[in-house]
Amino acid sequence: MNIRYILPFIEAVETAFNHLFRLQPRALTPYLVKKEEILDWDISGIIGIAGEAKGVVVLSFPAALALDLTTILTGETKTAIDDEVTDAVGELVNIVTGNAKKGLEEFRLLISLPSIVQGPHHQITWPSGSIPIITIPFSTTRGHFSLSVGLENIITI
Amino acid sequence: MRILIVDDSRIMRSIVKNTLQALHYPPDTFLEAADGDQAWALLEAQEVSLLLVDWNMPGLNGLELVKKLRATAKFQSLPIIMVTSEAAKYNVIEAVKAGVDDYMVKPVTEKGLEEKIRRVLGWETS
Repeated sequence: MNIRYILPFIEAVETAFNHLFRLQPRALTPYLVKKEEILDWDISGIIGIAGEAKGVVVLSFPAALALDLTTILTGETKTAIDDEVTDAVGELVNIVTGNAKKGLEEFRLLISLPSIVQGPHHQITWPSGSIPIITIPFSTTRGHFSLSVGLENIITI
Repeated sequence: MRILIVDDSRIMRSIVKNTLQALHYPPDTFLEAADGDQAWALLEAQEVSLLLVDWNMPGLNGLELVKKLRATAKFQSLPIIMVTSEAAKYNVIEAVKAGVDDYMVKPVTEKGLEEKIRRVLGWETS
């Protein structure tokens, strides 16, 4: 098992949430994702990774927290998921993934533009094959969210 | 003074703009573009004193825009700061080789942005 490369992603989440929202997210116990799993979230931001390893990074939120975080960023009260909320979630997963690359510099990695999946209990199409996906749930004073990461031959179980 | 902010995220453009307004840059300082192509069109049409450009964008991305600008005589001395989430050293080196004057990793901070702007514009740091 080698999941130490999860750490740069956890640190990137902590830095981003602290800087952007003055929140200190607490990482809870990681678990291995079952790929057919239906997520208990309302919106997910997804970044694909290519280069010396292929993989995926996903940040998933309940609607209430996504609205709350976007309200903090825009200064306008958000009551429904709209373009600004999807923009915020996309930019967050982009910042987390880009910042995590600093802790993975031994691998030259390219990151995609973010894409968004939304809807109650939506499903993510994870990379095919045997790439394990590790999910780290986070708690904050404003609600829970999760980070899921899979990196072929880098994060192994 | 005109600052062109290039980022495909409208929220991120607003954050950068609000950060600079908090540093007393007037609202009419800013021009915005959502990708490298829009930025190129604005740069051709208007005088710009400073370019703040993201890396990962659809269409012409930030790195490609910087290379195109530096290959064009009238933009060879345009001050450029790349403002991106790409935090790996090899990314910074690639951007510097392409011609950026400075590099800032998101999320931006007021102090960090001010220091970099002052440096690339040759202003004294107070």
